[in-house]
Amino acid sequence: MENLGYLFAIYTIVWAVLFGYVWVLLLRQKQLRRELESLKEALRAKK
Amino acid sequence: MKDKVNMWTGVAILIAFVLMAVALYGALVFSPEEKQLGNTIRILYVHVPSAWIALVAFGIVSLSSVLFLWKRNLKWDTLARSSAEVGLIFTSLALISGSIWARSFWGWWWTWDPRLTSTLILWLIYLAYLMVRSYATEESRGARYAAVVAIIGFVDVPIIYLTTRLWNLAHPPPTVARGALDPIFVWVLMVSLAAFTLLYIILLTRTVEQKNLQREIDQLRQSLK
Amino acid sequence: MSEYLGKVGAIIWKDILSELRTKDIVTSVLVFTVLVLVIFSFAFEPESEVIRLLSGGILWVAFTFAGMLGLSRSMAVETDKGSLQGLLLCPVDRDVIFMGKMAASLLFMLLVEAAAMPIFLILFNLPVFLPSLALVALLATIGFASIGTIFSTIAANTKAREIMLPILFIPVAVPVIIAAVKATEVIILGEPLSTARSWLLIIAAFDAIFLVLSAFLFEFAVEE
Repeated sequence: MENLGYLFAIYTIVWAVLFGYVWVLLLRQKQLRRELESLKEALRAKK
Repeated sequence: MKDKVNMWTGVAILIAFVLMAVALYGALVFSPEEKQLGNTIRILYVHVPSAWIALVAFGIVSLSSVLFLWKRNLKWDTLARSSAEVGLIFTSLALISGSIWARSFWGWWWTWDPRLTSTLILWLIYLAYLMVRSYATEESRGARYAAVVAIIGFVDVPIIYLTTRLWNLAHPPPTVARGALDPIFVWVLMVSLAAFTLLYIILLTRTVEQKNLQREIDQLRQSLK
Repeated sequence: MSEYLGKVGAIIWKDILSELRTKDIVTSVLVFTVLVLVIFSFAFEPESEVIRLLSGGILWVAFTFAGMLGLSRSMAVETDKGSLQGLLLCPVDRDVIFMGKMAASLLFMLLVEAAAMPIFLILFNLPVFLPSLALVALLATIGFASIGTIFSTIAANTKAREIMLPILFIPVAVPVIIAAVKATEVIILGEPLSTARSWLLIIAAFDAIFLVLSAFLFEFAVEE
């Protein structure tokens, strides 16, 4: 039954890492979009 | 145009989600225990696809590095860099799952098995690739250096595999049910492979898009100054 | 062909001359190598039988680190004083410069190894006369110098050059290190050299492949 412990560990790690990476990507995406908007705003104000 | 792209990404993400769910069900519930491997076969359903993506991603890194040095188009560099970032994640997963599998099946965490060793070195080469970029004094230099590292690494990995193979001839080769696997296991593995590959493609295109967005922002910032 | 060799020779001669004047590389690297060997001989009992099995690994750990130290010093000298720029302005192909720098590094490393080898053999109570070790050292050092020259050029242009060279160099050098350790073990255990044939072949293949590949890629590492 010890094997099931390892199995559990692996699936937890793999899914945590994958979800973590997707989450980081989503956060970065959001931040980049916001930055782009504010920059465009600033550019318009300058003109 | 933009909406159309987003729609396809949405569809791809949906398919990937369903595939991942099916693969998970197949690996944990549907697949029976294997005669030799027992329940540890379920680990291989995530380990083998991770290792596969580790190799594919590095292939893409090296190929786009060659194209970058040849054509000098930044889009190849962006592709190479993004693939390296995603590839490092999957290589780490392959290493962790491989080590835990070895522990649960052989009883030790680490052995100088050719595949395990080559994967570890591949992981180090990924790391070198990404580090030489971030430590380079200029962005354009870093891109060139990284491309050189990728090409040398691509040639090196098969040699490492060969060397560790030779090293292990003295030891008994790890008999991981070579070939004679029941079709049912092969099918579950195939679904898992497809799910991971699609996930890799989605993550890769997302990362590439973010890098392009980042460059756009940098350019805008330059023009604002 | 002889013109090509003449150009390469000129670069090697330049490095030898500057080394003769400064004694920057060979002496310091030799002292470092001996220190590493001495530390290992403290860590293990030199009389025990185990040491015979471990000594191949110890020797190559020392040579790997010494090689990297020498390479990074030799390149640091070029970039710090801006003499690499001067070298690049010479009307020769990039691969001539690569071959020159590589051959000079190879020469210095071999000198250090030749001086350190007897000390190693004595410290670890091994037979003092093992000529076939020289063959292993020569082959492996060619491989080290090939990838080392291009990687130290890259590392010299990054912010953390001392740490960058090992990060780039060690993963790629793994096949040479493994094969050299195994071949050294065979020789130290007194088995016939033919037992080590496949290891020597691997190192030779590595040398040939990476000498050509590094010479070809060198221009991308130095272009401005």
